[in-house]
Amino acid sequence: MSKIEYTSLEGKSPAYFGLLGGLALIMLLALASVFYMEHEGHHVTGMTNQIVWGMPHVFAIFLIVAASGALNVASIASVFRKKIYEPMARLSALLAVALLAGGLVVLLLDLGRPDRLIIAMTYYNFKSIFAWNIILYTGFFGFVGAYLWTMMDHNVYRFKPYAGFFAFIWRLILTTGTGSIFGFLVARSAYDAALMAPMFIIMSFSFGLAIFLLVLMASYRWTNMELGDVVVNRLRNLLGVFVASVLYFTTVYHLTNLYATQHHGVEKFLLLEGGVFTNIFWVGEILIGGIIPLILIYAPGVKNSRNTLGLICTMIIIGGMSKIYTILIAGQAYPMELFPGYEVSSSFYDGVVNGYTPSLPEILLGLGGVAMTLFIVAFALKVLRFLPVSLADSVADPHSAK
Amino acid sequence: MTQLALVIDLNVCVGCHACVTSCKEWNTSGTAGFLSDYNPYDKDPTGTFFNRVQTFEVGEYPNTQTVHFPKSCLHCEEPPCVPVCPTGASYKREEDGIVLVDYDKCIGCKYCSWACPYGAREIDENQKVMKKCTLCVDRIYDETLPEAERKPACVLACPTSARLFGDVNDPDSMVSEQIRDNGGYQLMPEWGTKPANHYLPRRKTNITIHRDELTRVDNPLNKERKLPMPGDDEQTLDDVMSW
Repeated sequence: MSKIEYTSLEGKSPAYFGLLGGLALIMLLALASVFYMEHEGHHVTGMTNQIVWGMPHVFAIFLIVAASGALNVASIASVFRKKIYEPMARLSALLAVALLAGGLVVLLLDLGRPDRLIIAMTYYNFKSIFAWNIILYTGFFGFVGAYLWTMMDHNVYRFKPYAGFFAFIWRLILTTGTGSIFGFLVARSAYDAALMAPMFIIMSFSFGLAIFLLVLMASYRWTNMELGDVVVNRLRNLLGVFVASVLYFTTVYHLTNLYATQHHGVEKFLLLEGGVFTNIFWVGEILIGGIIPLILIYAPGVKNSRNTLGLICTMIIIGGMSKIYTILIAGQAYPMELFPGYEVSSSFYDGVVNGYTPSLPEILLGLGGVAMTLFIVAFALKVLRFLPVSLADSVADPHSAK
Repeated sequence: MTQLALVIDLNVCVGCHACVTSCKEWNTSGTAGFLSDYNPYDKDPTGTFFNRVQTFEVGEYPNTQTVHFPKSCLHCEEPPCVPVCPTGASYKREEDGIVLVDYDKCIGCKYCSWACPYGAREIDENQKVMKKCTLCVDRIYDETLPEAERKPACVLACPTSARLFGDVNDPDSMVSEQIRDNGGYQLMPEWGTKPANHYLPRRKTNITIHRDELTRVDNPLNKERKLPMPGDDEQTLDDVMSW
């Protein structure tokens, strides 16, 4: 493989500015939503005292989980020394940082008091997994930032393997932390499972790679640069393994719960009687996010179809959002069992399944995070050289005949 | 260590919600700001309450009993809401065991609400910080109040005196005595949170009475029955005197 040449986007076309403008508009709408929710109070959202985390958290956690997974390609190149992934490492790290930034902005602006960020940064309760996550997120920016620096500056290039290694370890810890926000929750029936941390890690692999593939294909299609089938199909196969793994973890999680009589109630709710949540689980998470993509990835007829791959990635993203929605919202909707075996009622929603309808401002805030991620990526691709000039088979494939 | 707590007697609680409303009244008028309400008179009211009454039925219809179960923060000795708080805004006081939220340090992440197995934490939709029962910390130490009134508002309001307040770690306190004498128990002790608040169970007073106890040995009627009785067609004294 010859030396890789990188380029930046020219970024002068109306389409490019149209893209940036569109994303900026979504961000502005998100900001307006934040001001509206801040000014009017929590009650204008769909969230209640039973469903305390809503749609913004679904977006935020999805983006944060995907951020760690987007670093996959870079990690495979640096840590596992797979040459074919090497040219895409810069884009991978950039996307990781951008996704985390987008997710964190949503998370921050959805706090009751985002104005107190300085308190969150200065008062740490080290027993809190939430506080640890603040450190993990900040650290991720630091490690991946340093990693990007070693990739892009020849003076520090020799440190790249170390930076890559630490970034890889850190991302595993980060997603363990994110999963443990739910894994460490003993109070609610749907959580309190050690499996949450590894499941979140494998989810990050899948969601992150799906987003990476979409960004990669869009970048090369819109810039008319060459992206060979070898690279794309390698990533496609890897994606298949990740999607299957997510399905596997989901199955094990539910089987474990089904084995314990104590969890039969919540499982019955999630899998059979949860109404919209059950539908989202089976249709969104399992069918759209798992089985159909898996079939399409390995279907022989559409092996080299970029459009199909784009569709697969989109489906995985929809499935991923559905999965986070099920974990987050359905788990809260199921009532806490204070008096097992008794029918409890009160004038305060005790003992009943809690409803949640996301409000428009919440959805706009979440989309604002996505827009911010894409804005960062689009802007960074213009100002710095992240994209290899060509990812044609002859350039990217170490085994290709010269 | 002192551990102030409530002991609630489910045997006499009638579910009147006086504790709920008095709590709301006192705490919404406090220096920490009001407890906000939205649409209080509409179909779907929302609002912040420190104390709520849950109701459940025991038994199958028609042999049922209704149990009213007032529930507020239980001021656990191992409160799960405290370690999860990222900024340390949730804390347990050393001196009296009350679990409090520092409203100025709370960032409104609502993670404590996830962690509390009793559902005792609520977000104030206006101030956007988490709130919960303070055991009326602003009145139990207020020396401007008569000593008898230095109790949580709910305790003072309860018409049946179902709510008692005191130090559950002091074996000589009235609350400890009640817990001991009446089989006081903690809500969901299996969580290991060691709730300080205790509940006294529903209890019926049953005594077994034997048949012979219903028979009066020295019943004077027994003597009268031994006297000769008039025949069915004979006049009795009642007939003569029934004018």
